[in-house]
Amino acid sequence: MSQQILVLCVEDEQEVRDAIVRDLEPFSGYFQVEAAEDATAAQEVLGETLSKGGLLGLALCDHLLPGETGVDFLVELNKDSRTAAARKVLITGQARLEDTIRAVNEAGLDNYIAKPWKREELQEIVKKQLTEFVLANVEDLLPYVNVLDGVRLLEEVRNRKSDT
Amino acid sequence: MPLWRAISLIVAAIAFHIPWIFTFPDLSAEGHRVFSVFLLAVVLWITEAIPLHATAVLIIFLLILFISDRAIIPLPEEFAPDAVSFGQYFATLADPILMLFLGGFVLANCASKYSLDKNLARVVLTPFGSSPLWIIFGLMLVTAVFSMFMSNTATAATMMAVVLPIIRALPPGDRLGAGIALSIPFAANLGGIGTPIGTPPNAIAVSALTEQGFPIGFFEWMVMMIPFVIIIMVLAWLFIAWFFKSETKSITLNIESSFIKTPAAIVFYITFATTVLLWMTEALHGMSSSMVGFLPVVVLVATGVFTTKDLQTIQWHVLWLMAGGIALGAGVRHSGLDTWLIGLVDWENISTLLLVGLLALIAILMSTFISNTATANLIVPLGLTLAASSGVAITPVEAGVFIAVGCSLAMALPVSTPPNAIAYSSGVISTRNMMITGSLIGVAGWVIFIQLAPHVWELLGLMPEP
Repeated sequence: MSQQILVLCVEDEQEVRDAIVRDLEPFSGYFQVEAAEDATAAQEVLGETLSKGGLLGLALCDHLLPGETGVDFLVELNKDSRTAAARKVLITGQARLEDTIRAVNEAGLDNYIAKPWKREELQEIVKKQLTEFVLANVEDLLPYVNVLDGVRLLEEVRNRKSDT
Repeated sequence: MPLWRAISLIVAAIAFHIPWIFTFPDLSAEGHRVFSVFLLAVVLWITEAIPLHATAVLIIFLLILFISDRAIIPLPEEFAPDAVSFGQYFATLADPILMLFLGGFVLANCASKYSLDKNLARVVLTPFGSSPLWIIFGLMLVTAVFSMFMSNTATAATMMAVVLPIIRALPPGDRLGAGIALSIPFAANLGGIGTPIGTPPNAIAVSALTEQGFPIGFFEWMVMMIPFVIIIMVLAWLFIAWFFKSETKSITLNIESSFIKTPAAIVFYITFATTVLLWMTEALHGMSSSMVGFLPVVVLVATGVFTTKDLQTIQWHVLWLMAGGIALGAGVRHSGLDTWLIGLVDWENISTLLLVGLLALIAILMSTFISNTATANLIVPLGLTLAASSGVAITPVEAGVFIAVGCSLAMALPVSTPPNAIAYSSGVISTRNMMITGSLIGVAGWVIFIQLAPHVWELLGLMPEP
């Protein structure tokens, strides 16, 4: 793969974090799946990927975190031109209505997953969000046909590629 | 910059300078200049250090700078009077064969916009039922026919999108999935042989042959090619069905079709049908395929069926790549470089069969690893000159056509053609299976074409005397 695409999970409870990473296992060969315990650690991981020329594809955030909240973190990502294109998902049980509204309006939230989640549901949402991301931001779609929504990617390949 | 690219560019620069530093006996001054462009093109098209179409426009630019009537380093006096006007090199970007392709692109992009290809595929597949053997046959048939009129790549992508859900629904490890996935690129590559617009190498050959006084009509090309395409396809089908035999006895295809019936879509359907009909009946009305090809461009743009935004979806880079080849061919011919290169080998005592086989084989081998169009761009001009030289036992038509066919028969690796890469992306095909099946089909196709085609064409009166 020419360019690393980061899938970043931010979750403070270790067990929950491990569960999310385990559920994202199918994507790990194609994307760089990383987990962080809070917004500061997440920024570090993100900074490293960006400095190597990688992209943030998906941020999957809990809301209640020590320090900066998940919603604030997502709003920050949305304001930064380097990460604005990333798909943003809240995975939480305790976001108040006004936080959620702020996430939709100011962070461009793409999906809200209520805890507890089902593995298939999480995988479907991640697949859909990453498909949207690569369609909009990646030129060569073929490496992702096998792991994302292959039919949609191939229909777009049809418009992009020709005999050479 | 990656190391590979840096090395490629250095090698290209060195290759480019060779004819400026060394003087080759019997090669004209003009020939030396074109030789340097030719060597540069060889290196850049093999390494893809810059995009293929970038090399193509570079070729056009260099030919204008070096050997046109406006050359910046003046040509020696004996060549100057008949130097080609610089406008003619620019004009390769609108060569008639490219206008034919432009028409094909507009039709194909409209077919995608109005989902005609997807809907037609489903209708045609309906009668093939649920037996894997017949479904593979149906898929190959539809893919081959579509790829005669659309790019092989677009066809393969469309058809893979249709079959991907079936492949995913098979039990894990079922070989049938690989068989289905492989049948599509192979049918697309083979179907591309069927018409002049099937794939760019055909057009490169037709354009060069027309230039040398051997025009081949759209329908005439189809008559020459399709019988052999059918034979190879049937063999490929039987082999795939046998090699990927599986326990699965029945598969379900989603064949619900919903044709779009808006006025714009109907205008497109009528234009499409009319264009194909006119292409097939050139003998009746005398309009060349390029002229016919411009009809859908005009009609669909004028009626707003094909919008300004759609116009930006045209694969201009493919047209540029072909133009680069046409310009290079013209430069090579005009400068006498071709005669000099061919003269390096004594061809006189080599039999027709061997020559034809050799040309096709070179095309297959080269285009297995590099772009099919680039392969045709480089070897069609040389092949035609070889055929035109005295004492050589093949006709220019044979040379051009076999090179084009050879380019399409290369399908042994995922990198060989974009359709192969698309099928490979499904994740169900191993490189090994693609190599086995692809090289067998390539070799079978090669044998069938060189053994049968020249005799059949002669019988049908399609081959001018050598």
